Amino acid sequence: MDHLFRHHSGKMVSVLTRIFGLKHLDIIEDAVQDTFIKASISWRKEQPQNPEAWLTQAAKNRVIDIFRKLKSQRNHLPSLSLGTDTIAINELFLDTEIEDAQLRMIFTACHPKLDPRDRISFALKTVSGFSIKEIASALLTKEDTIKKRLSRARKAIQKNDLKFSIPNGKLLHNRLESVMEVLYLIFNEGFHSNTKTQLIRSDLCGEAMRLCQLLLRRVAIRTPEVYALFALMCFHSARLEAKINSDNELLDLKNQDRSLWHFPLIQLGNTMMNKAVEIDSLSCYHYEAAIAAEHLRAKTFEDTNWKKLLYWYEQLNHLQPMPIHQLTMAVISMQNNEYSKAHAFFNLLKPNDFEQRAYLFYAAKADYFFETDNFNNALIYIDKALKTVTNTLEKNYLEKKKSNWLS
Amino acid sequence: MMIFIGADYAALGLSPEELQTRMGKWFAWGNKMEQAGILRGGEALTPQVRRIVGENRTVSDLASAEIKEIVGGYYTVEAKDFDAVQAIAQDFPDYDLGGTVEIREIMVFDR
Repeated sequence: MDHLFRHHSGKMVSVLTRIFGLKHLDIIEDAVQDTFIKASISWRKEQPQNPEAWLTQAAKNRVIDIFRKLKSQRNHLPSLSLGTDTIAINELFLDTEIEDAQLRMIFTACHPKLDPRDRISFALKTVSGFSIKEIASALLTKEDTIKKRLSRARKAIQKNDLKFSIPNGKLLHNRLESVMEVLYLIFNEGFHSNTKTQLIRSDLCGEAMRLCQLLLRRVAIRTPEVYALFALMCFHSARLEAKINSDNELLDLKNQDRSLWHFPLIQLGNTMMNKAVEIDSLSCYHYEAAIAAEHLRAKTFEDTNWKKLLYWYEQLNHLQPMPIHQLTMAVISMQNNEYSKAHAFFNLLKPNDFEQRAYLFYAAKADYFFETDNFNNALIYIDKALKTVTNTLEKNYLEKKKSNWLS
Repeated sequence: MMIFIGADYAALGLSPEELQTRMGKWFAWGNKMEQAGILRGGEALTPQVRRIVGENRTVSDLASAEIKEIVGGYYTVEAKDFDAVQAIAQDFPDYDLGGTVEIREIMVFDR
């Protein structure tokens, strides 16, 4: 029963959209919502033997309802007789076809005609069955903003008369990049939660992984980059449980109980990584996965191969130059006791480069000053970090660090 | 009898996940009463209401605009007194959605 409704919602919305077309998405979403309300009330007393089959049957019944509703809106729709059309509709509810429909929905959510800012919200709503409230809290945004994003995405779909399909050839390549980016962002939002307290972070990670697995099931879409992205998610997820201790405090890599790392996920990540490297040119996802794997490889924090990590980061930053990579390289250089190198990396950076995560810059710089015996500056910078941090757990972490320094 | 009023799920825009969680709570509550051996019956009611009022037999259909008035279902339980039912009603899952539980005693007539 775990997440049954959520997962089924994406399936039903996708299949019904395949039957009725994207322009009836509103009606379809209402109908699906309705089915769940019905189930949640009628199952209160007794759950059906096979809930999944119950829901699928309900979705099929909905097809007839939606046809009626649409027909009353406009009369030129074909009438749905119970003959061959029903057989065709049954076909669309086969497992492989459901997966196909869901993939179409993911690719639609990442269509270039949709504003990149709207894609994640739209995917979370239609493919993953999140409510507006849940999306707002996951993305640290107001509910009104999410509503606007969703309606803007719908309008873009209507206005451009988007087809509910997976593109081919060069188009597929470009669209797949956008799909991977959206999944990566969903995952990251779960892993580095910006929310004040925890909320649904592991849900987001799980959802991103589920969707990524959907991509891997299709031969045409199963590229080394997708394998690398999935490996990356496995490696990060393996550490999810260890990131927080029993007092709900955030633990850095140094203080994590490595025995809590989830070994099967590491193994799965390794398998995925082996498939991912059957290629000449490596992507950002490859390097990020390599970095995550390097951390997992170390038996203790002290065993971490920082030289290797710095190498991977250099490759990654070369491919995709980003302030956050340079900041990390500064931190790694400190681990290697190469303070002048760290200083050089810091000089490339400004707090504004990190927007709402400026506290990361301040905190790293505070460390730098502490390690180089500039205690006053260390305190100034950790206070700046404390002033800008949003997540309570991270704030507590920084406060603890500060009080350790003062004692 | 516990009568459940308000908290129309359809009007609240709950996500599938939220609905499922809620269903799980109802299910757990029902199980608890069953295990305690006090559950005698109950039904869920759909939100459509047709009401016939007064001498003129005026008929009205209540839409979900008046969710506060809608009876969503009931359970009948066997218990010592009001307090015992009030205790079991602590687990009613929809208080946070503005739902209400009304406890009424079913009158037993002497034969």
